[in-house]
Amino acid sequence: MSTPKPDTTSPLLDISHLRVSFRVGKSEVVEAVRDISIAVAENETVALVGESGSGKSVTAMSVLRLLPGNALIGDGSSIRFGGTDVLALSRDALREMRGKDIGVVFQDPMSSLNPVFTIGSQIAESLQLHLGMTRKQSFARTEELLAEVGIPEPKARVNAYPHELSGGQQQRVMIAIAIACEPRLLIADEPTTALDVTVQQQILDLLAGLKERHRMSMLFISHDLGVVGSIAERVVVMRHGQIREDGPTARIFGDPHDAYTRALIACRPSLDTRPRRLPVIADFMSDSPEAAAVRAAQLRERKVRPVDEKPILVVSHLKKQYRLKTGLFSRKLIDAVTDASFSLSRGRTLGVVGESGSGKTTVGMMLMRLTEATAGEIVFDGRDFLALDAKALMDYRKRIQIVFQNPYASLNPRFTVGQILVEPMRVHGLLANDAARLAHANELIERVGLPASAIHKYPHEFSGGQRQRIAIARCLTLKPEVLICDESVSALDVSVQAQVLNLLLDLQEEFDMAYVFISHDLAVVKYMADEIMVMNKGEVVEVADADTIYRSPQNPYTKRLLGSIPRGYVAA
Amino acid sequence: MSAIEPPINEAAIDPASRLDPAPRSSGVWRNAWKRLRQDRVGMVSLVVVGIFVVAGIGSALGLVARHWADEIAVPYAPPSFLAATLGDGLKIESTAGTVLSIDSVDPLEPKKAEIDQLTIKNHQVEKPLVNTLPFGADRRGRDVIEKAIKGAQISIFVGLAAAIVATFIGTVFGGLAGYFGGVANDILEWVYNVFTAIPGILLIFCFAAVLGPGIGSVVTILGLTGWTGVYRLVRAEYIKHRSREYVLAATAIGAGNLSRMFVHILPNISHIVLVQLSLYVVLFIKSEVILSFLGLGVPVDSVSWGTMLNEAQSELILGKWWQLAAATSFMAVFVTAFSLLTDALRDALDPKLR
Amino acid sequence: MGSYLIRRILQMIPTLIGVVLLVFVLFTLFGGDPAEIIGGLGATQQQIDSIRVQLGLDQPWWVRLWILVKQIVTFDWGKSWATQEAVSNIFATRLPATLTVMIPIFILDVTLAIPFALLVAYVRGSLTDRSIMIATTVALSISFLVYIIVGQWLFAFELAWFPVQGWTDSTWTNLKNFVPLPVFLAVMVGLAPQTRLYRSFFLDEIGHDYVRTARAKGVPEKTILLKHVLRNAMIPILTNISIQLPGIFVGSFLIEVFFSIPGLGRETLLAVNRSDFPVIQAVTIYLAVLTMIINLLADVMYKVVDPRVVLK
Repeated sequence: MSTPKPDTTSPLLDISHLRVSFRVGKSEVVEAVRDISIAVAENETVALVGESGSGKSVTAMSVLRLLPGNALIGDGSSIRFGGTDVLALSRDALREMRGKDIGVVFQDPMSSLNPVFTIGSQIAESLQLHLGMTRKQSFARTEELLAEVGIPEPKARVNAYPHELSGGQQQRVMIAIAIACEPRLLIADEPTTALDVTVQQQILDLLAGLKERHRMSMLFISHDLGVVGSIAERVVVMRHGQIREDGPTARIFGDPHDAYTRALIACRPSLDTRPRRLPVIADFMSDSPEAAAVRAAQLRERKVRPVDEKPILVVSHLKKQYRLKTGLFSRKLIDAVTDASFSLSRGRTLGVVGESGSGKTTVGMMLMRLTEATAGEIVFDGRDFLALDAKALMDYRKRIQIVFQNPYASLNPRFTVGQILVEPMRVHGLLANDAARLAHANELIERVGLPASAIHKYPHEFSGGQRQRIAIARCLTLKPEVLICDESVSALDVSVQAQVLNLLLDLQEEFDMAYVFISHDLAVVKYMADEIMVMNKGEVVEVADADTIYRSPQNPYTKRLLGSIPRGYVAA
Repeated sequence: MSAIEPPINEAAIDPASRLDPAPRSSGVWRNAWKRLRQDRVGMVSLVVVGIFVVAGIGSALGLVARHWADEIAVPYAPPSFLAATLGDGLKIESTAGTVLSIDSVDPLEPKKAEIDQLTIKNHQVEKPLVNTLPFGADRRGRDVIEKAIKGAQISIFVGLAAAIVATFIGTVFGGLAGYFGGVANDILEWVYNVFTAIPGILLIFCFAAVLGPGIGSVVTILGLTGWTGVYRLVRAEYIKHRSREYVLAATAIGAGNLSRMFVHILPNISHIVLVQLSLYVVLFIKSEVILSFLGLGVPVDSVSWGTMLNEAQSELILGKWWQLAAATSFMAVFVTAFSLLTDALRDALDPKLR
Repeated sequence: MGSYLIRRILQMIPTLIGVVLLVFVLFTLFGGDPAEIIGGLGATQQQIDSIRVQLGLDQPWWVRLWILVKQIVTFDWGKSWATQEAVSNIFATRLPATLTVMIPIFILDVTLAIPFALLVAYVRGSLTDRSIMIATTVALSISFLVYIIVGQWLFAFELAWFPVQGWTDSTWTNLKNFVPLPVFLAVMVGLAPQTRLYRSFFLDEIGHDYVRTARAKGVPEKTILLKHVLRNAMIPILTNISIQLPGIFVGSFLIEVFFSIPGLGRETLLAVNRSDFPVIQAVTIYLAVLTMIINLLADVMYKVVDPRVVLK
C-alpha cells in the first residue's frame, strides 16, 4: 500500500484497560468488555473483528460514549482521543467531538436515517452545527459530499427522502454525514453487513478511497475476516470481551499466533477445496493428537455422489407472479420467479445463489408449497407435486422439509423443544403414542449434537446455532427425502456456521437426503453444492456444476457476483 | 444480508460447548410471575385488588353489606369521627312549657283502653335511628360504607364482565380477520368501520336508549361497543405472526389452520390480550359509573359508585360530603391499584432494559 | 391523489350503509315500543294504536327502512317525538353551543399536552418522571364526575369565581362568563391521559436508531427532542387527534348536563332518556358521516407529515 507509515508514537485513539458491563433486570450485571486496550494511529485503519457477543460493537460505541443507559464503564478504563480524556469530557465538549472529530457509520442505514427529513438536510445539519455554515453554504457543500460518496445526480437527490434510496445509497448518505466535517477518525460499525454482496464491495472501495483522500484513521468493526483483509492495516481479534490477537494484517492472515484466530480463518469455507468437513473452533482449541488426526482425515476431499437416473425432484419452468394494486383499477404484475428448471438426485445438493430480490427464497417456498406457483411443474418422485390435493399433499409433506433462516423466529417460543419435535410426528400419526415419539425426539436431539436435557427447555434458552440444530431435528422427525435449507446458516457466526454445515453433511450422508441449499454466500454454496443455479431478479441466469461455475462463469452477472467475494488478505 | 442480533445472553454461552446449561425451564408465565414478585409496587397493587375482589365476592354472597338498603340512621347522619367534634349541636332542644291535656274533648277517649290493647298486640319493633355511622349516612339514612362496598361489588363485576365480553368478541373477530384475510377480513373490517364510524359515547347512547337500564344491559352495552380496540390489536398481531417462520414451519409439517391459529399463534399473543383486558376493566368501571350516574346503568333498586355520586351532587351543596368521599376514595383506590397492577403486569410480561 | 380520493369515497358507501343498518336494526328490532312509552301509563290501547300510526310504526320494516333512507338523504327528520320540535332545528340550535365549549377544550388539550409530554419525556427515568406518572395514574382513577362535582361546588358555589350555570344567546357573553369554568375543568381532566399518551409516543421515538445517529452527530439533546423526535411523533399524534375530533361534536355531554349548556350532547342524553328515537338516529348517522370525512382528511394530511406515505 502506498499510504505513509502510521505514526505509532502517540496514537490518535488510545483505549486502555476498558471494561464495560450492562445492568440487566434488577440486579444482574453482564460483562461485555473485559479489560481491553487498543490503539489507532494517525492515518491507520484498524479492523476490530469478532463474532456476536465478542464486545466489538460495545468497544466502538464506548469511544464516543454512545452506549445505552444501562451501560457501566468500569473504573480504570481510559479512552484518550488526540490526547483528550474522552471519559472525563463534559457533555458539551463531548457533543462537539461527536460528528466533528469522530464520525460514525452504523450498520442499518434505513433505520439510522431519520425518515421524515431529506437526506440533504440531515447532512447539512452536521455542517451547520459544527462548522457554523449558513443554510446556503451547508447545502452547497452537501451536494459536493453527495457527489463524493457516489450518489448520482446529487443536485436532485438532495431533497430525496431516505426511503426513496436503495440500501447501498442510504449507506453512502450515512458515510457522507459521518465525513462531512472532516473528522480525524471514522468509526464504521459493520457498515456492509446489511448490504448485498456486490454493493458491499463498492462501499468498501468507497471507504478506502475516502480514507486516503481525507487522511482519516478508521476503526472498522466486522464479524467477517474476509472483508477486513482488503481494507485494514491492523487487525484486532476479539472473543468474549477480550482481545485474542492484535497485529498487522499480513501477519494475522499469514501467520496467526492465537488458536482462536487460526480457527476463525480456517472455518470459513475456502473457494478452492471441498473438504469432507470444515474445521471448527473446538478443533483448534484442543491440542490432543487424536483430535489432530481426526481433523486431518476429515479435511480430505469429499466424495461426490453420482446423479440418479430417476432424480427425486424434477422442476420445469417454475414461475411465480404477484399482482399489486397500483391505482383505482390498475394492477401491476411482479415477477418474483420467471422460469426456473432443474433436477435433483438423492444425496446431492443443488445450490441456489442470488442477492436479495433474486427470487431464490420464493423457489424454496414453491417447492414446499408454502406459496403456490403461478405456472410450471414439479415432479416429485414421479408424481405431479403441484396437482396433489390436500390429502395427498399431507402425505407428501413428510418427504420434503425446510430449515428457515432466522433461528430466532422459526421455533415457537411457547413450545418446549420436546413439544416442537413431537408435533410433526403426532400430526402424521407416526409411531404408536406420545411416549414413543418423545423417545424418538430424544434420539434426534442427541443426533444433532444437543444434550438430552434440551427436551424440556424453551427455545429462548438456546443460542442461534443450537436453535438451528433443533430446527433440523424437527425436520428429521419426518424422515424427509428432500431438505430445503433457506439461508439456514446466514444468520450464524462463522464458527457456528461451520458446525451446522458439518452436521448437514453428516446427515446427508447418513440419510441420503437431497438438499436444495439457498444462500447469498457464494463461498458457503460452493462448499455445499454439487450443482449451482444462479438467480438475478427472478431470472435464472446460469445453471452448471459447482466447479464450472467458479472456474469459468459464463454470465456477466455471475462473474460480477464472483468478483465481489471478499478474498481476505491478498499479499501485495 | 443482515446479521440477526442475538440476545445478550449469547456472550455467556459458548456455541461449541456441549455442556448442559442450567436445568431451569420456565415458560413465559412462570418467568413473568417471578418478575412480578420482585416488583414491589406491583405486589402491593395485587394485594389491594385482591382485597377488593374478596370484599366483592363477600358482598355478592351476602356476607357483608347485605343490609345496605336499610335505612338505619337519621338522614344525613354525619360520620362518627366528625360527630365527636360536633357534640351537642346535634341535640334538639326541648321547648319549655306545659303540655295541655285534651282528654275532655277527645272523642276517642272512651276507646283509649281498647286502642292501647290493640297497640300492644300489633306492636312492631321499630329500631331507633342512630345518629352517626362510621362514615356517615346518605339522605335516606343508609350506611355509606355498606353502600360503597356493595357498589364496589356491582361496579367491579360490571367492569370485569364487560371487559371479558369485549375482549372475547374482539379477539375472535381479530383472529379470524388477521389469520384468514380475504373475505373474512373484508367483512370484519366493514363491521369494524361501521362501529368506529359512530363516536363511542354516541354508540353507547344508542344501545342504552334501546336496552334500558339494568346490570345485564350495561354489560351488553359496554361489551358490544368496546370490542373494537382489542380487535385492531389482535388482528395486527395475527397478521404479523401468520407469516412468521414458526408458523410457516407448522404449515410445512402439516398442521392445519385451527391448530396454527389456536395452538401456535394464540399462546404467543395471549399476554397482549391480557394487558388489553386489564385496560378494559378500568375503562368499563369508569364508564359504568358515568352510566349509572345518568340513570342509564344499574337499576333503581341497586347501588353503584355512580348512583352514589349522583346523590352526592346535591348533598355537597348542603355541606354533606361523606358519600362523595366514600365513593370517590373506594373507586380511586381500586382503579389506581388496578392500573398499577396492569403496568406491572405489562412490564413483567415484556421486560425491556430500562 | 384524485383517484385516491375517489376510491376512499367509494369505500365510505358500504360503511355508511352499515351504519344505517345498524341504527335501523337496533332501534326497530330492539327498541321496545315507543308508542307505549309516549302514551304514558294511563293510555288506552286505542290511544297507543293511534300514536303508532302517527309515528309510522305500523308499517312493515322495509317501508320504514326506505323512509329512513329518504330522511337521511333529504335531511328531513321530522319532529322529535317528545317535544315536537323539528329535528333539523334541534341540530341548528344546539350545535353552536356545543362547539363554543368543545373547540376551546380541544385546542387547549392538544396544545398543552404536547409541551407537557415533551417535558416529561425530557426528564424520563428521573424521580420527576416517576412521580408525575404515579400522580397521573391516581388522577385518572378518580371519575370525571367527581372533578366536575367538586370543581363546580368549589369554584362556583363556594368561591363564586364563576357562575354555577347558565347560557345566553350571545356567543361573546358565553365565552366570557359561562365557558371558562367548564373548559378549565375539562382541560384539567383531559390533560392527564393526553400527556401520558403523548409521552409514550415520544419515548417510543427516542428508542429508534435515528436518534442514536443524531447523538453521534453531536446534536444537543434538546434539539433531538424538539426537532427530530417531535417531528416523527407528529404521526401518531395526528392519528390520535383525528380519532378524537369527531367526539367534540357530541360534546362532553357531562359538561353540558352539569352546566346546563343547551348543546347537542345534552340533547342526545335527553333523547335517550325519553326514547326519542328520531333525534338519536339523526345525530348518530350524521356524526358517522362526519367521522368518515374527518378520517379521510386525516389520511390526506398524513402525506404532509410522513413522506413515506404513498396514497394510491
